[in-house]
Amino acid sequence: MRKILGISALLLVVCVVTALLSGSFLSAYNIENLIRRTALFGIISIGVSFVIVTGGIDLSVGSVVCLVGCGVPWLLTTHGWSVPSALAMAVVVSVAVGLFHGLLITRLGLPPFVVTLCGLLLYRGVARGFTRDQTVGFGSDFKSLRSLATGEISLPFISGFSLPVPWLFLVVVAGVAAVFLNRTVYGRHLLALGCNEQAARFSGINTGRMTVLAYVISSFLAGLGGLLFVLDVNSAQPVDFGNFYELYAIAAAVLGGCSLRGGEGTITGVIVGAALMQVLRNMITLVTTHNNVEFAIIGAVILAGVIADELVRRLGARRQKTV
Amino acid sequence: MKPDTLISDSASATQGARFSGIFVGRHLTRSAGFFLALTLLMGGCKPSGGEATSGKSTGKKKVAFVSNGVASFWTIAAAGVKAAGDAVGVDTETLMPVEGISDQKRIIEDLLTRGIDGIAVSPIDPVNQTDLLNRAAKRTHLLTHDSDAPASDRAVYIGMDNYQAGRLCGDLVREAMPKGGTVMLFIGRLEQDNAKRRRQGVIDAMLGRPSNPSNYDAPSGVIEGNGFKILGTLTDQFDRAKGKANAEDALAKYPDLGCMVGLFAYNPPLMLEALGQANKLGVVKVVAFDEDDATLAGIQKGTVHGTVVQNPYMYGYKSVEILAELAKGNTQVIPPSKFIDIPARQIRKADVDVFWADLKVKTAGSK
Amino acid sequence: MTVPLLQAKKLTQTYPGVRALKGVGLHLMRGEILAVIGENGAGKSTLMKILAGVQMPDSGQIEINGVAVSLPSVLAAQKLGIALIHQELNLVEKLDVAANIFLGRERLRYGLIDTREHHRASQIYLAAVGLQVAPTALVHTLSLGQRQLLEIAKALSVQARILIFDEPTSSLSSSEAATLFQVIGDLRKQGVGIIYISHRLGEVKELADRVTVLRDGENAGELSRTEIEHGAMVRLMVGRDLKQFYTHVPQKPGAVVLEVSELRTQVYPQQSLSFQVRAGEIVGVAGLVGAGRTEMLEALFGVTPAVGGTVQIDGVEVRPRSPEEAIRVGVALVPEDRKHQGVILQMAVQENMTLAALRRGNPTGFLNPSWEFALVGEMVGRLQIKTPSSRQVVQFLSGGNQQKVVLSKWLSLKPRLLLLDEPTRGIDVGAKHEIYRLMEELAAQGVALLFVSSELEEILGLSDRVLVLHEGRIAGELDRGELSEESVLRLATNTDVRDR
Repeated sequence: MRKILGISALLLVVCVVTALLSGSFLSAYNIENLIRRTALFGIISIGVSFVIVTGGIDLSVGSVVCLVGCGVPWLLTTHGWSVPSALAMAVVVSVAVGLFHGLLITRLGLPPFVVTLCGLLLYRGVARGFTRDQTVGFGSDFKSLRSLATGEISLPFISGFSLPVPWLFLVVVAGVAAVFLNRTVYGRHLLALGCNEQAARFSGINTGRMTVLAYVISSFLAGLGGLLFVLDVNSAQPVDFGNFYELYAIAAAVLGGCSLRGGEGTITGVIVGAALMQVLRNMITLVTTHNNVEFAIIGAVILAGVIADELVRRLGARRQKTV
Repeated sequence: MKPDTLISDSASATQGARFSGIFVGRHLTRSAGFFLALTLLMGGCKPSGGEATSGKSTGKKKVAFVSNGVASFWTIAAAGVKAAGDAVGVDTETLMPVEGISDQKRIIEDLLTRGIDGIAVSPIDPVNQTDLLNRAAKRTHLLTHDSDAPASDRAVYIGMDNYQAGRLCGDLVREAMPKGGTVMLFIGRLEQDNAKRRRQGVIDAMLGRPSNPSNYDAPSGVIEGNGFKILGTLTDQFDRAKGKANAEDALAKYPDLGCMVGLFAYNPPLMLEALGQANKLGVVKVVAFDEDDATLAGIQKGTVHGTVVQNPYMYGYKSVEILAELAKGNTQVIPPSKFIDIPARQIRKADVDVFWADLKVKTAGSK
Repeated sequence: MTVPLLQAKKLTQTYPGVRALKGVGLHLMRGEILAVIGENGAGKSTLMKILAGVQMPDSGQIEINGVAVSLPSVLAAQKLGIALIHQELNLVEKLDVAANIFLGRERLRYGLIDTREHHRASQIYLAAVGLQVAPTALVHTLSLGQRQLLEIAKALSVQARILIFDEPTSSLSSSEAATLFQVIGDLRKQGVGIIYISHRLGEVKELADRVTVLRDGENAGELSRTEIEHGAMVRLMVGRDLKQFYTHVPQKPGAVVLEVSELRTQVYPQQSLSFQVRAGEIVGVAGLVGAGRTEMLEALFGVTPAVGGTVQIDGVEVRPRSPEEAIRVGVALVPEDRKHQGVILQMAVQENMTLAALRRGNPTGFLNPSWEFALVGEMVGRLQIKTPSSRQVVQFLSGGNQQKVVLSKWLSLKPRLLLLDEPTRGIDVGAKHEIYRLMEELAAQGVALLFVSSELEEILGLSDRVLVLHEGRIAGELDRGELSEESVLRLATNTDVRDR
């Protein structure tokens, strides 16, 4: 809980500072944009946090985003598939990718870093292959499908502001993920496995199956994210679509309190982490005219946050000991 | 033999393997067979300095067309490359670097290692790539297209003057906003010369300055004059989600924004997406560059005032034509100015249908 | 009176919230073996860390040969001739023996490590501790006992005059321990002062010239050579009389629970094991380290599945290929490596306790907090686990309480067969006693128990029957009536003990 407090405070500070510096930050339009972006990045971050909780890593997230993000419009427009069959294909492919990773890691004992790093190269390459490096998109078709990402729901009592539909996806995904992690036997098993794989196995937990499950969740949510990204942006270039998104996702997960050593993580924290990244990027565009230093600012703020977090933790630990 | 050509066979083989991976577009199906041929070559001939040797396998000359990235713009150029190759009887290939300047360097070096009769390249960073370009110019015929490298030993530059094209675009802005107003510029990145010049042309034309390509306004800071207020230039480093976010953030920051100008091919469609979601299509003027389908559709619908199109097809076509002549030893094709102009032009609602139909014909072969 | 080799006076050390030492004193003469004993948390480790220069005391004085010294670092202590042989050995497994001896003090030649000189010089120290391995042998190929001796050789190479041993025999087999005792005896003859920390009162009695007992960070008393006796030591350690240490009450054995025939493990595939354990029986498994005891338990628990043979539980043939399957047929294991296999250190007491029973206790898959709460409450009471709350992270519990958490994990599953691997290793006397009591209680309830231990006292005191393993096979089976230290050791070493 305390871990979320730190990151939430940082998010709040960044929001307040940006609001003071830019009058348009709090405009309904900007808030809607931020919510939509946070939702999209939040979904893939929640996915990767499941893998991080088990003590693993998934570097293939961005490439799965690319594979699904390019694959769905390619199937729909170039091959004329029906919407349900293209979506079914997206689910099948992303789940299969996770299964593939999980089995290589648990059955062959390959290191997750290597397996998913190869995945990173492989899936982007595959997407570039089948699209022949062409930009794919929906043009002006598939409006109703695209409303999954671009649609907005007007709220009663609040005029001028409506809720982007991706937020609903995030709420559902986060809700299911949080219940799974904290309120089910399997979530507990996953955490135990992340803390100490051996002890978990000695307690009768099928650690292999749980690990595979974590990678499947990660890839599935990366696929869902990829779908929503392409529905939102409307065009995808396989060379760069989703590039570096695995790092944004991992950063959000770690900011949100997932330990890379495994066994720790809260879903709320991950969402806050994802939001922080998006607000920072938004702030840089709104407040400054130097968007070339964007990454420097993001890096510096996050590092400052992590340092502050560690200091607070040490202070807390010292106080706890003396009680 | 120069020292930098001393590359062992095994090293070339691995580079060849990587090389085959970047084959793109319609060349994909051929790449397997080509790779086989390449492997055979590796066994047979030592890499040599000076004259290229790869023509031996087919007896035809072989030239390469190197882009500065991956875009549909280059797909059209590739169609021109292929058409010219068939017309003048040389083997051609179009290569698109994926990861920016280092990737482009690798592609050129691999081509030189393998042996090639001519390279046409769009340098990403002309000033700093001079050494590489000169090295290439020593070992094969080299020309630049799309973006020039005037300081290098390239034989000729084929393309348009980006500054002048930018001015055409600026004129479109003035047309769209006769009373002036606020303007935001969107571009992939500003490191490359063509981007800088194009942006400068837009600014100078809008402000009514006389033509002077050596003007420079820094990208940070507001530029005012002639009734226009240019609020800034946002770059996205080719990340489309970021490009769309830039457009959204600009709309949030300046609710009364008058006009958005997208200077790279994929920028205008992203601007249109953002405008659509903000219900501001038609409210904020859009002036575009290049001929993305969404841009052309926008012109038809009236949501885009107009666009400036280059002629990538001719870039490709002319590049191959010139390189083929140079490979035959004919240097007469080089004009004294070392510049072959393929002019840009403006497309407005009145011309869009004809232009689009022609475009579809030209790109039909590449899909 | 001669000046002591080492004297510590009124040492105090306060950790945040804990006063670890409250004015402890100690002296050590030349050529003396001083045993320091006490329950966990009595302050032994803190005292040793101060003497070895790992940390500085808050107050107090240390003298060597009557001269006050300051020990701000391990290096400073080493220079004064003090070396600590740590409980967890500090060796670099991927380096060879000689490199480990000279680690941090490499001898150089032309600025490069002089490997030949290392090998030559290390022979001397290896000979001094009777360790017969090549200087070029990689440490990970050495047995635990050999590594312990290597640590001593390393200490000798820095000309140590004072050696501190922290639980040196906790992972040694009896024969390795015997070698170690011999080396310690030799060192004493050479005038080296030795401080010896151990939970094993038997070896203290055998080895020590004098015993200093610590309790709750204070000196609880001292015993001279003639006073060293089991009861006296326990009395000082716990501050009260423990009644009869082992109170084994043999149960009337019930039906056969575990029937093993021709079981072959992955480590000793050519040897086969056959035996039975009945309900209410406690069967001890004795043997040297490497005799295949742990492997046998792990085969029964499905950790490393057996390569052949049959296992029957309650007459039904089972073939556990994972702990998950073993647990399903009523087998449970308290593993040897508590911190890595038994508990999850970072998780709370509650989460550890319910881990194995989660699925059975929550058939819907959703956690039922009241089920968890009730189970934890029951277990904490039944096992008298000392923890501030069930939310306490297990890491901060004492070894004994951690082991109780491991046991409680299995109790709610009501196993038919409980396997225990070194259940009392590194646990203080009081907690040991409680674990024995619990084992007796389970036996009385009809559970079949099979336990591995390297402590002969424990094997002798607790077992109805003992299986002695030697190099992967059952060298013999002893009934309670035939049990003696001698009979077990003879089978374990496969020799006549008196000839050794």
